[in-house]
Amino acid sequence: MTPTLDNAKAIAYKKALSECIDAEKLKFCFECGICTACCPMAELLGEGYNPRNLLERIFINMEEALASEELWLCAWCYRCYRHCPQALKLPEIFLHIRRLAVKHGYKQPFENAVKKIVTAVPLSLVAIIACFHPERARLDLNKILDYAEQLRKEFLNERPWKTEPIKGKVAVIGSGPSGLTVAYELALKGCEVTVFEALEEPGGMLRKCLPVHRLPREFLDKDLQVLDALGVKIKTGVTVGKNIDFDSLWNEGFKAIFIGVGAHKGQELKIEGENLEGVFHALDFLWTVNSGREIDLKGKKVAVVGGGNVAVDSARTAIKLGADEATIFYRRSREEMPANPWEVKEAEDEGVKVELLVSPKRILGRNGWVSAVEFVRMRLDDLDETGRRRPIPIDGSEFVKESDLVVLAIGEAPDLQFLPKEIELKEDGTIWVNPLTMETTLKGVFAGGDTVTGPATIIEAIHSGKIAATSIECYLKASGGK
Amino acid sequence: MAKEDIRIGVYVCHCGLNIAGSVDCEEVAKFAAKLPNVVLARDYRYTCSDQGQELIKKDIKEFRLNRVVVASCTPRLHEPTFRRVCEEAGLNKYLFEMANIREQCSWVHLNDRKAATEKAKDLVKMAVAKAALLEPAEEIEVPIIRKALVIGGGVAGIQAALDLADTGYKVYLVEKEPSIGGMMARIDKTFPTMDCSICILAPKMSDVGRHPNIELLTNSEVVDVKGYIGNFRVKVLKKPRYVKEDCSACGECSKVCPMIAPNEFDAGLALRHAVYTPFAQAVPSTYIIDMNLCLNKDGIMVCEKCIKACERQAIDFTMKPETIELEVGTIIVATGADVFDPSTLPQYGYGRYLNVITSLEFERLINAGGPSGGRLIRPSDLKIPKRVAFIQCVGSRSSKTGRTYCSNVCCMNTIKDSLLIKEHWPETEIYVFYVDIRAYGKGFEDLYKRAKNEGVKFIRGLPAEIFEDRKTRNLWLIGENTLLKEPYKMSFDLVVLSVGLEPRKDAELIQRLLTLSRTQDGFFMEAHPKLRPVDAATGGIFFAGCAEAPKDIKDSVTQASAAAARAGILMAKGKVTVEAITPILDLEKCKACGLCVKVCPYNAITLNKELKRVEIVEAACGGCGTCAAECPSDALTQNHFTDEQIIAQIDAVTGQDADKKIVAFCCNWCAYAGADFAGVSRMQYPHNVRIIRTMCSGRVAPKFVERAFARGAAAVLVAGCHPGDCHYINANYHTQRRVERLWKKMEQNGLNKERLQLLWVSAAEGERFASKIYEMQRIVESVTPDEIERAKKVFAKAGGA
Amino acid sequence: MPERLWRTPLDAEKAARPKAEIHILKDQCKGCGFCIQYCPKKVLEESDEINARGVHPPRVVDEKKCIICSFCTAVCPDFAIFVKEKTV
Repeated sequence: MTPTLDNAKAIAYKKALSECIDAEKLKFCFECGICTACCPMAELLGEGYNPRNLLERIFINMEEALASEELWLCAWCYRCYRHCPQALKLPEIFLHIRRLAVKHGYKQPFENAVKKIVTAVPLSLVAIIACFHPERARLDLNKILDYAEQLRKEFLNERPWKTEPIKGKVAVIGSGPSGLTVAYELALKGCEVTVFEALEEPGGMLRKCLPVHRLPREFLDKDLQVLDALGVKIKTGVTVGKNIDFDSLWNEGFKAIFIGVGAHKGQELKIEGENLEGVFHALDFLWTVNSGREIDLKGKKVAVVGGGNVAVDSARTAIKLGADEATIFYRRSREEMPANPWEVKEAEDEGVKVELLVSPKRILGRNGWVSAVEFVRMRLDDLDETGRRRPIPIDGSEFVKESDLVVLAIGEAPDLQFLPKEIELKEDGTIWVNPLTMETTLKGVFAGGDTVTGPATIIEAIHSGKIAATSIECYLKASGGK
Repeated sequence: MAKEDIRIGVYVCHCGLNIAGSVDCEEVAKFAAKLPNVVLARDYRYTCSDQGQELIKKDIKEFRLNRVVVASCTPRLHEPTFRRVCEEAGLNKYLFEMANIREQCSWVHLNDRKAATEKAKDLVKMAVAKAALLEPAEEIEVPIIRKALVIGGGVAGIQAALDLADTGYKVYLVEKEPSIGGMMARIDKTFPTMDCSICILAPKMSDVGRHPNIELLTNSEVVDVKGYIGNFRVKVLKKPRYVKEDCSACGECSKVCPMIAPNEFDAGLALRHAVYTPFAQAVPSTYIIDMNLCLNKDGIMVCEKCIKACERQAIDFTMKPETIELEVGTIIVATGADVFDPSTLPQYGYGRYLNVITSLEFERLINAGGPSGGRLIRPSDLKIPKRVAFIQCVGSRSSKTGRTYCSNVCCMNTIKDSLLIKEHWPETEIYVFYVDIRAYGKGFEDLYKRAKNEGVKFIRGLPAEIFEDRKTRNLWLIGENTLLKEPYKMSFDLVVLSVGLEPRKDAELIQRLLTLSRTQDGFFMEAHPKLRPVDAATGGIFFAGCAEAPKDIKDSVTQASAAAARAGILMAKGKVTVEAITPILDLEKCKACGLCVKVCPYNAITLNKELKRVEIVEAACGGCGTCAAECPSDALTQNHFTDEQIIAQIDAVTGQDADKKIVAFCCNWCAYAGADFAGVSRMQYPHNVRIIRTMCSGRVAPKFVERAFARGAAAVLVAGCHPGDCHYINANYHTQRRVERLWKKMEQNGLNKERLQLLWVSAAEGERFASKIYEMQRIVESVTPDEIERAKKVFAKAGGA
Repeated sequence: MPERLWRTPLDAEKAARPKAEIHILKDQCKGCGFCIQYCPKKVLEESDEINARGVHPPRVVDEKKCIICSFCTAVCPDFAIFVKEKTV
């Protein structure tokens, strides 16, 4: 039931629109379609979601935009922002309009959106909490999760796609979001899937490193239960390459393999003092915390090096563990920080400090333990090959910051030593795949998620998993399950 | 100060109903008649008409008027007209003043006749107060040297040089590369005629080489420029070629040279030797040795193969760089533009994927004289591609790359390229991915239709990312077809990035040498975008070609001829008159502190330490008045905008009801023009603003603002051009500085600093001006009498009532 | 023309290179190493063998890389090395 338009509403709409046009630079949009082309949700939902179209509707007919369920389908991966020639922050623009919609009582579009999410996005509950963030638009998250669970039950009961089950066993290496998506999608079509997970509990990065405040584990378990109900076998504690050889998978009867091992090897700074006690890679730090170990950081000063979401997670976790000080040190400026801007703000509200244009030069220690970090100030030069401004150290600007714990969050790479040499890697160490089919250079072997793209978001992993699943389905059908 | 009686004649114009419709002109004339020094005050229907002008001339003679004030339209329109009238009647033209009661009064206060009339009276009072203090002035004449310098030897520089040389002037053409020709020599065909580019350029190039009036200085750079319009002293560094002019361009030296490197002319796609000629049709044809590559370094002769091979014995390793001094009257800047480097766009993979090329590399590949003999081949396997994609707007129209402008030529360039491919390999599938196709010029739309006719497919939607197939080196483009609302994932053999143009990397150097302004895009700024499109703000300097903005060959040639004509006007006259709004120096007060030297945007003031004074070069002076505002010893003031005259205007405004008025200082070129534009557009705003015109906001000295507050003004507005757009290059930067200092002073003394406002407004932003006055009206209404008194005390030193 | 030149030129392989014949008079060499140091294409390196003078003369690493600039000939104090164009 759409409310009628009156004067106060019109003014509110106009204000929101002018904020988007000026502050969020919507006036620069020239409708090139790049945002829609690279949006994972656009591909997952097909015609049901077109961010470029939604932007235009916000411009031209606010009423229509507010009443549209497309408004609620952005999953905050910021891919559009990174690719957009005008660097528009689409998630922020949508958030403005979402808040306006909630304020003026547009509830139904959101409920339709949840229906779409549940049908199109595997691991729906995890996605709603960690990707869609409805609470940012001031909606009740718990009610939404209950509603989503209920919808999903109905959806799975109906299962209108009963076709012939696909012949052929599929092995999935890694139970992160991409692997679980492949498993879910293939199991829905009646395929036999076995997931091999190296850790003791499934979930990949979702279980290992995502802080509990970002993703309460009960919802991850609920999503895993769905897979269990579909007949997916998850073998935990099995590392492919150690407990079982990659090549032996073929002997075990698997007709296709999906590699979704993520990117868990922390990059090294390669500076003096990196091997002192008290210097952790962010993933190890987060895993230690998530595995239930009691860590008390009271009175400690924590330095987090890096500017991505992992760095922000580490800093917030440190504060929650009682640290006196948790500071993020990033070598470029705030606009170039890869972390979600609103998460940085939330972190700052919780007490995390952010120091920009600094880079660690060496880590100082006492008796083998970290005592301080020497930083050097940076200035920004012209654009380099990554499209960001190159940081250049300013000679003589070194300064020392006392630290009891140093967390390095400067990037991750996949650990792919177990792969046969036929599978070619790109220059940065990730697996090369055909972008349309997600197939590697070895026939029958597919890959997706962080393993292919480098560190990225959950929704992107889910998206690549879905493409791979469709591709594996075609492959199995074509080969007749040989 | 003249000892004679001041006899002012005031004319209040009706301008039909334009003024009389909202202002009671008769009343204003009666009021004017009672002002001090006024002997005659009339109101007249159309003062600028022939009869009106005759009337003024008659009155000047009959009533022995020695100052004239006309209250009518904006001085930006008719000041020259009435100045001429005064001159014809025997009165010095600088003894004339105008009050703007149309654009800035009657047109913007259409609904309040009483208030408009009161404002008109105030404006006339201001003009009369200033007129009483005006002094006659003579414009100085500066001779112009009848020689021209053209910087840059691309097609624009070549055209300008030929036009000037054909007119009969001596031209120095300076080009930093070893040969002239620029970008046009590198492309294959031109749109829309599909002419062979070098074929139509080469005859012009040899004309330049042979012309008796053109002295060609290639491999040379301008390193210093001193002087002013008509009298520039330029130093040019001639870098040595190490090959004498005896060279017959036979090429034997190149054949035996052992050192090789990628050829810049071919965008790195072919090799050249250390001794080389940039391309076959180079002018001059003399070869050149790249000493960074040659084995003979620091005078140590190791390899003499080229010396031995040269029949004319033209190789000379003892050549040294030479600095030449030139004296010219006009300069034409034709330095061209650079091409955007797409390496900073990682999603397109340029620099990583072999088969992603730029449009420039495409030109060299498809050129018959190029590295592949005219065969468009894929760099990875040297095969002819069957599917080619063109991606538009790479680097242009993008806030991310910082180049938000449209590069003008890329759409047509792609259309032309697609037709070239179809001409040679008709079976090739060609897709053009675009956002808008800009085919605006003559014959452009027809070429676009021809391309579509030949089967070139245009898809509206840029690819988000390019992926490479490691085996075939083919490329996948992933994007959205925005017209069909469908995603596309297509594979291509070759991808051409249609890169845009950007300002030269050494544009800043030229800017500093010639004291030019640049727009926000980084290209050089013309004096007026509509009426003076080839003149630089600095007198005597003109623009041609892409130096001023990206454009195609036709527009470059057109602009070059225009620049040559403009330069020709100056040189034909042989002399130029400088408007008499130059600084006046009081030698006794000058303490030689040098502050004025620092702020002059034209370097027209020099400090003479021995004589303990500064010296002003009037011909170089732009007339901004920033020096006068900067002088701490009151030794400098500006002719026709003296301190006394401005203070007289301030006093006239604040004589009555100062606590309800806004004193506004507007610069002639932007702010005043913006206020005029508000008037032309009939935008209404509150009537209590009184505008004082200066040439530049840099003229506004802090003491003027202080005086206004000391006299009880409610609020003061200082308005000028947007930073970077200042008509006097950068004088408004000093305005900002001074206003910030005044704000600090106000804060420190507990005054509401909102009473002093700073506004950057352009001549087209009438609405911005109007809304500022609305904003300030609220401030005026909220100022308390107590606050007014406090401000009076704080600024009392500036002079009270 | 300040574009970035990162490509391998298309005629890099086919660039007409005269074939070189490097002659080293091993026993005349006194082991100063100038030829190795100053060769612009790094065609020479110190060999393991010892000549009559008790030093290590140079040896050719890759004769195909030689561009017959004759720098080695010019810089050798003992006239112990010279290059000729191979006549096929």
